[in-house]
Amino acid sequence: MRSKLAIAFGLIAVVLALTVAACGGSSSDNKASSQPAANATAPKKGTTITFWIMPNGPQPQQDMEKTVAAFTQKTGVKVNVEVVGWDVQLDRIKNAAVSGQGPDVTQAGTTQVPFFAALGGFENLDNRVSEIGGKNAYAPGVWQTTQLQGQKGTYAVPWFTEARAIYYRKDVLKKAGIDPATAFKDTQSFQQTLQTIKDKVPTINGKPISPFGMPGKKAFDLVHHVMPFVWDNGGAELNSDASQSTINSPEAEQGVDFVANLVKQGLFDKSMLERDGTQVENQFKGGRLAVWIGGPWVLSTISRTDDKNWVPAARANVGVAAMPTGPVGKAYTFVGGSNLMMYKSSQHKNEAWALMKYLSGDEVQKQYADVLSFFPARLAPQEQVGQSDDNHKAFYAAIQQGRTYAPIAQWGPIENAYKGRFGNILDSAAGQGKQPFSEAEVKSQLNAAAKEADALLAQGS
Amino acid sequence: MSTPTLQPQVSADVTRVDVPASPPPKRRRKRRNPLPYWLIAPALVVMLLIHVLPAAGGVVLSFKKFNLFTFRELFGAPWNGLENYRSILLDSDNPLHSGFWGAVQNTAVYTFWTVTGTLVGGLAIALLLNRKMRGQRVARTLMLVPWIIPSYVVAVLWAFMWQSDVGIINKVLVDYTHLLGHRPVWLLGPNTMWAIIIPSIWRGLPLAILIFLAGLQAQPQEVHEAASIDGAGPWRRFRYITLPLIRPLIGVQLLFGVIYAAYQYAIPTVMFGTNPGPDADLMMTFIVRQSFSNSLYGLGAAASTMLMLAMLVWVAVWYRVFRRDLEVT
Repeated sequence: MRSKLAIAFGLIAVVLALTVAACGGSSSDNKASSQPAANATAPKKGTTITFWIMPNGPQPQQDMEKTVAAFTQKTGVKVNVEVVGWDVQLDRIKNAAVSGQGPDVTQAGTTQVPFFAALGGFENLDNRVSEIGGKNAYAPGVWQTTQLQGQKGTYAVPWFTEARAIYYRKDVLKKAGIDPATAFKDTQSFQQTLQTIKDKVPTINGKPISPFGMPGKKAFDLVHHVMPFVWDNGGAELNSDASQSTINSPEAEQGVDFVANLVKQGLFDKSMLERDGTQVENQFKGGRLAVWIGGPWVLSTISRTDDKNWVPAARANVGVAAMPTGPVGKAYTFVGGSNLMMYKSSQHKNEAWALMKYLSGDEVQKQYADVLSFFPARLAPQEQVGQSDDNHKAFYAAIQQGRTYAPIAQWGPIENAYKGRFGNILDSAAGQGKQPFSEAEVKSQLNAAAKEADALLAQGS
Repeated sequence: MSTPTLQPQVSADVTRVDVPASPPPKRRRKRRNPLPYWLIAPALVVMLLIHVLPAAGGVVLSFKKFNLFTFRELFGAPWNGLENYRSILLDSDNPLHSGFWGAVQNTAVYTFWTVTGTLVGGLAIALLLNRKMRGQRVARTLMLVPWIIPSYVVAVLWAFMWQSDVGIINKVLVDYTHLLGHRPVWLLGPNTMWAIIIPSIWRGLPLAILIFLAGLQAQPQEVHEAASIDGAGPWRRFRYITLPLIRPLIGVQLLFGVIYAAYQYAIPTVMFGTNPGPDADLMMTFIVRQSFSNSLYGLGAAASTMLMLAMLVWVAVWYRVFRRDLEVT
């Protein structure tokens, strides 16, 4: 009995020792990492900083190493580039902010910035951003993504930008006798164009083609595709001080109804709701969709012969138009992309800032955005890329009319709540909902979305 | 002649029985070797560290107001008492409330059909494979293939196969065999539940087949032969001989099958993303989404704790039903 007890106590002691050691380790590390960086203003040669990026483009590591090589040459600061997958980046960036064990600089999705800023592990860059031109160097929708509503401070610098625009098949429009210049001018003509395609061009080159399609709840960006129609009708995701959801307002309901009715009327191919974003993109490339909403990264794949998803007829006939103007007279679209954030725990803040400044240079912005087929975040290089051809012009125009969501910490969860409810509405319009599609059902789903959002907003109070 | 021969045998037996009882209890205790305890100690420590402590931590967090605003404080987050539990179960204003009951219902349906399908299908195929036939080895090997395919790949493959327009399932049901006149939609609406149940059964069948086949092959053939001679047909032999003999195997698979199904995450997530929709949202997809995508850590911990308690109740019920089988085995 005594020996049993001894063993049991021995085990408990080991567990406790290990636990205490683990806790002790982390707290002492925290202390060490929260100490301010050295007070030198210029970057120190020979310093190594760590930079987390997400898988941007087909060769993220090599592309970024190539981009920062000139920075290292110029400053003598080495950059350790680490690629963090999109599936884990939210948790890793968050955990690094809380534990103080992270890189010096990280990329973050524009809509994630307020959430990370609210966690408190990121540097307020207010005193530094004047060095890169501050607010005036960026479009208002882009600059807004660096803020946290209700707090004074700039927690990120914009890095690269994207917006959603309409991709269409020029040959299909031609066969349907529609003028591309007016086809997507406003929401009414948008709907009429889809109807004409449905009636006049059920097939092209002997193969069936659907007028329009976009992914449903499986896509991470469903809200980005539905919200422009809500904004077009004068609706908004939240009220002006971001204290209450307005997704169940009559205006917002009109916008959601517009999209759902495209499904109901058979203009929106409902089988696309079963697919994720990439799969629907490939349906457009594969010639099975005449119209589709997408980001600028698809443009560069047109000339890439190794992208076998394109069928020749689709590849040769891509046209891009800005999103349609709605009843309130504006053509809104979602503008997103990625920003750069500096960790408070960084021991090399000056070097980290030097890197952020370097990546905000007009020429570097243009080069890197070109590699990724995104747009530079800064106005000057953005305009240059926007003038390169007609399709880029459409995207440049879209960015200028771009809108993003309220910069609040709870936006991510609220977007998830909206995404789930928008998905349910589209499913029910496709005849697959829990309840049959009706105006009352749309209302009830949007009321539920608003209720969930309000409960999430109440967390912060 | 016979009696004297028997007597020593009996006395010898008695002596043999007496011998182990003779040493005093103290000496027996001293002889017990502590080595086995030291040998299992590392496993025990690892289990405590990676299993028991985090689970206990989760239970503690379920009583805290732990969300994105208190994330930095971790265990220092404000105490919330039973509020997380109350609001999930009773508060219709809580964003988790309606989703929770939907997920409970879906998990019950999913678990019932997955476990039933796996056990009944596994037993049926094992009975077929247990018969002597040509190509028996090849058939057995082929039956094990789904087992070596990771759940992630299973879900990706089935997600393509279920597509209503170009998926192979509708092609077979509608275009090739004309069994159905319309193309059912599997990846939206009520059918989404079947879209995750069927791949789960497919994935679970090989293990069930393997276990049942081992059990069937260990059964004494004499019993079956005797029953046949007495006139018992195949059904009666199965009902009164095979089934009682493999009852412990059914019990063990039922225990693990229910726990595994209740904790299913990979298949619905890979097939439908983080929100599988109201018809296929299971407890784990719901908990992971609310905890980590929506930063409702305290509420998520409370939902996890309730799921864990439900599993403990299941183990207790299971133990009462199958206790006798455990003693037999």
